[in-house]
Amino acid sequence: MNPELSTAAPADLNLYLFVAAVLFVSGIVCMATKRNGIGVLMGVELVLNGANLNFIAFGRFTKLGIDGHVLSLFVIVLAAAEAAIALAIALNFYNNHLSIDVDRADSLSG
Amino acid sequence: MPAPSPLGSTLSSLLMIAWLLPLCGFAVEIFGGYWGSRKSKAAAYLAVACIAIAFVCSLSALVLWGNATGWSALGHHAAAGAEHAGAAHAGSANAGSAVHGPFSDTLYTLARFGNLRVAIDYYIDSLTLVMFTMVTFIATCIHLFAMGYMSDELTEQYEDHQVHVRHGHFHRPGRFYRFFAFLSLFCFSMLGLVLAGNIFMVFVFWELVGVCSYFLIGFYIERKSASTAANKAFIMNRVGDFGFLIGLMILWTHFGTFQFTSRVEHDGTQTAGLFQMLRDDHGHLTLTESGRNVVLSSGFETHGDAHEAHAHPGPEAGHGEAGHEAGHEAAEAEGHVLATEARTIPYYLLIAAGLGIFAGCVGKSAQFPLQTWLPDAMEGPTPVSALVHSATMVAAGVYLVGRFYPMFTPEVLLTIAYVGCITAFLAATIAVVATDIKKVLAYSTISQLGYMMLGLGVGGWGAGLFHLVTHAFFKSLMFLASGSVIHGCHHVQEMPQMGGLRKKMPITAIAMLVGVIAIAGLAIPGTPIAFSGYHSKDAVVASALTFSELNPTHFLLFYIPLAGAGITAFYMFRLWFYTFAGEPRDAHVFEHAHESPPVMTGPLIVLSLLAAFCAVGGEHGPLFGLLTASEPATIPHELVAAAPSGLTLPTHGAIADRHARAGMYALVIASLGAFLAWVFYGARWVSPADVQRQFSGLHRFLVEKWRFDELYDTLFMRPVHVVSAFVAGIDKRVFDGLLHWLAGATVAVSRWDRLFDEQVIDGAVNWTAKTVYTGGASLRGLQTGRLRQYVMFIVLGIVGIWVLAQMLIS
Amino acid sequence: MNWLAQQLDNLAWMAHGGAVYVFAAMAIVCALAVVFTHNVVRMAFWLILCLAATAGLFFSLNADFVGAAQLLIYVGGTLVLLIFGVMLTASGPFLQMRTKPGEMVLGGVVGLALLGLLLSSALAVRWGERSPVLASEVVGAGFNPVAEGNTTRELGLKFLGASSRDLKTGRGELSAGYLLPFEIVSVHLLVVLIGAAYLARTKRRKQPADSSGDSRSAALSA
Repeated sequence: MNPELSTAAPADLNLYLFVAAVLFVSGIVCMATKRNGIGVLMGVELVLNGANLNFIAFGRFTKLGIDGHVLSLFVIVLAAAEAAIALAIALNFYNNHLSIDVDRADSLSG
Repeated sequence: MPAPSPLGSTLSSLLMIAWLLPLCGFAVEIFGGYWGSRKSKAAAYLAVACIAIAFVCSLSALVLWGNATGWSALGHHAAAGAEHAGAAHAGSANAGSAVHGPFSDTLYTLARFGNLRVAIDYYIDSLTLVMFTMVTFIATCIHLFAMGYMSDELTEQYEDHQVHVRHGHFHRPGRFYRFFAFLSLFCFSMLGLVLAGNIFMVFVFWELVGVCSYFLIGFYIERKSASTAANKAFIMNRVGDFGFLIGLMILWTHFGTFQFTSRVEHDGTQTAGLFQMLRDDHGHLTLTESGRNVVLSSGFETHGDAHEAHAHPGPEAGHGEAGHEAGHEAAEAEGHVLATEARTIPYYLLIAAGLGIFAGCVGKSAQFPLQTWLPDAMEGPTPVSALVHSATMVAAGVYLVGRFYPMFTPEVLLTIAYVGCITAFLAATIAVVATDIKKVLAYSTISQLGYMMLGLGVGGWGAGLFHLVTHAFFKSLMFLASGSVIHGCHHVQEMPQMGGLRKKMPITAIAMLVGVIAIAGLAIPGTPIAFSGYHSKDAVVASALTFSELNPTHFLLFYIPLAGAGITAFYMFRLWFYTFAGEPRDAHVFEHAHESPPVMTGPLIVLSLLAAFCAVGGEHGPLFGLLTASEPATIPHELVAAAPSGLTLPTHGAIADRHARAGMYALVIASLGAFLAWVFYGARWVSPADVQRQFSGLHRFLVEKWRFDELYDTLFMRPVHVVSAFVAGIDKRVFDGLLHWLAGATVAVSRWDRLFDEQVIDGAVNWTAKTVYTGGASLRGLQTGRLRQYVMFIVLGIVGIWVLAQMLIS
Repeated sequence: MNWLAQQLDNLAWMAHGGAVYVFAAMAIVCALAVVFTHNVVRMAFWLILCLAATAGLFFSLNADFVGAAQLLIYVGGTLVLLIFGVMLTASGPFLQMRTKPGEMVLGGVVGLALLGLLLSSALAVRWGERSPVLASEVVGAGFNPVAEGNTTRELGLKFLGASSRDLKTGRGELSAGYLLPFEIVSVHLLVVLIGAAYLARTKRRKQPADSSGDSRSAALSA
């Protein structure tokens, strides 16, 4: 591969940071607005993806290097685990309330 | 001085048995009410057995002692009385002291506090032996008598006719065993007092006899009069014992020992006793040059040295220091003496110590001014009056004066003589008007004790103790006789209700007559036919006469006792005539009167024999000889004035010269008294009632006992009451007021404090709690439990923090 | 041939460079679509596209293994799981639960604020100037697996606690690796799987047997 090409970034680091920020904020907004429990879960996935993108980008453009890949792999694995647990919880919730509206899960309200 | 000799140890063992047996008896008898029936006489048998064995032991000790000395005391004194050679007397006394001199040793050491050694010592000389024999003998007689007298108590339901309760008389279980238990305890205490070898032990047993007296006077404790009398006796004795304690303290401070005489320790060293420290072998005090202090010798001189030093016991006891000092130095040079320097005691303190000890004797022997308790003590059963309050315990004061004679300075002896003189006269006058048969005897006892004190005080050591022994016999006899009368008349004690009883109780009447003649001191002049009282009173009066002639300023010391002798004869015959002669005054009492059983009359007969004949031979007889064998060396052998006081104490020779004259005076006066009594009460030529009317003021004064009780009431009781009332007032007003005020103030402060507590502190706490609660309740709204809101909060929080950080940075 | 190869290379480079933007745009659009869609099934679809675009971005960053893992685990695994969840719970009315417009507006405003925060932070940093180390030393000479996009071997070594550079220098010293976290994560996964199975299955078994469970949970929710 061409050394100039390889050293020159295909795109600026800022591009990736921008995309990651958008993904992150989308996930947050998703969590904040969706009444559907599954939707909230999807927001979490988006947040995790934004974070992952940051790790990889910094691994590419900074000295973080391969460690960023390792971290993002851990995140992926933990996201999978989280999804499994969250789905189990959602199913349980559905069994108890016959609904997956998170607004109805307010037993802890003061 | 007295090395433990075989004779000494034998005597001490015998006397110890005699002494401790009554204690064993007491230990068993006191539980008689629990172990046996109240109707059983076991306690009495045990008590009689104990005291009888004690008597046998005492008598054998006396006989042993007499055999060992070859009865030299009897013969010796006869010879000494004839010669009166002072030096010879001193020499023979020294020679004989190894055999019949005092035996003293420690039985048991109780405790040791530094130099102070508290021990049970014994001190045995002929006086001890005679006292032991006399006390145990009389006690045996009285125990036997009491078995009959107290038989009323042998019941489960004793009815006390003198105690009134709501429904008739007071009933209680009989206390026969208790009476004998206390009698035994008393015997133990009395014998311990006689045996005591140190002044501390004397004090202990002094208090023990006091407490026994208290128990026995208060035997009918339910009677108010009895319990009051017991308290009175005890408290009056305390007054005297206070002085006793002060005397003890002075002695301890300056002598550093309590024991009477020197003693060989187990390691061979000698420790000096009080007598050896104060007096040399010739009974002289050693004064320092200033004359204000008395040198205390360490008491270690060997006899040889002492004799050389005192080769010429000069007439001026106070000026012979040179010889004494030489003797001391010689002794020190020989290494016999460990003491570094001679100890001294101020002369005035010696007087104070003597007066203090004598104060104890005054209390115990009911001398003026503490005499008022003894008549009241007659509330006790009559055997108690006979044993405790006439023959033995009250004589203990006299005995102690005799025993402690070497410690008394002439000034103290003069005080003793005057106290005895006053007491003898005062009590005799009261006895003249007393109507209670036991009260008459009680005053007579006080009067006779006064005679003993007088005898001792005027230098008649032998005379005083002689009178002590004879008086013990005839007074116990008379008390027992009166007890027999009271028993026979069913507890009537007033003489005006009696009369003519000689027909009903002849033995008692004769026994009483013997006692009366003995105490009155009647005799047929020129013949040896004379009862014991004649001899002993003669001796006392002779001593008093000699003293008053040698010291003319003190002439009253002869005339008052002489008058007292006449009064004694008068009131004693009055008693006899009142009770036994003439016609019955109260038919009812006379009807029921009866002669007492043999167990009571037996002791009467024995005692009347002794009362009549114990003093046979007078001052040349065996009893006087026995007593004077242990006469202290203080009795002077030459007529010299004692150094600081200027008093001349009579010698044996001087007394013997005036003896016949004094005896004649006394006999004439006594006969006159007896004749007057016959005139008034026997022949009834003059009506006593007329005389009473004639001298009604004097009569009332005497009936009221010279108003001593009133005087004490005014002098001590009233002021105490007033002061107490005042103090109580202060207590109530001031202290209680203060306390009340404090309490009120505390309540007020507490109330305010409570207000503060409730308003401020509780308010603060409640406000805090309420605020927290309100805050929590309001913040509770934040916990919506809605997931999506939490996400919003998180985001808003992050943004907020960021904005804040930006603002802070910029 | 050479030219062709050159052209192709250029084209590939251009395509490469353009693809980055395409993927970026796609990821942004799809993410926004997830936010604004109300239908759960469609949300899932947009999410798949978003995640796939992100995987493309990974590839563009030479993270070939992570990108593959993203595709495999997320798109192929997690999302299938999600869709299972959707299908198990989605019945009638719940399929479309609309949020209130006010909430949407509020969420949008808050989201924009957060976005502004993140972007301003990220863009405020001049990466190259501030820290030359960050940019210059990323790609070294010689064997550079990251730059070459061949990271599998390197990752494996990392998980074992080593790195290829350590092996190459032969100093015998190993840099810090990820063996322990790897083990922890694997055990974690196991626990999660068991827990998820338990959570999903117990209630289902209990419900017919215990009718009071429903009322109790209803009471709790009330």
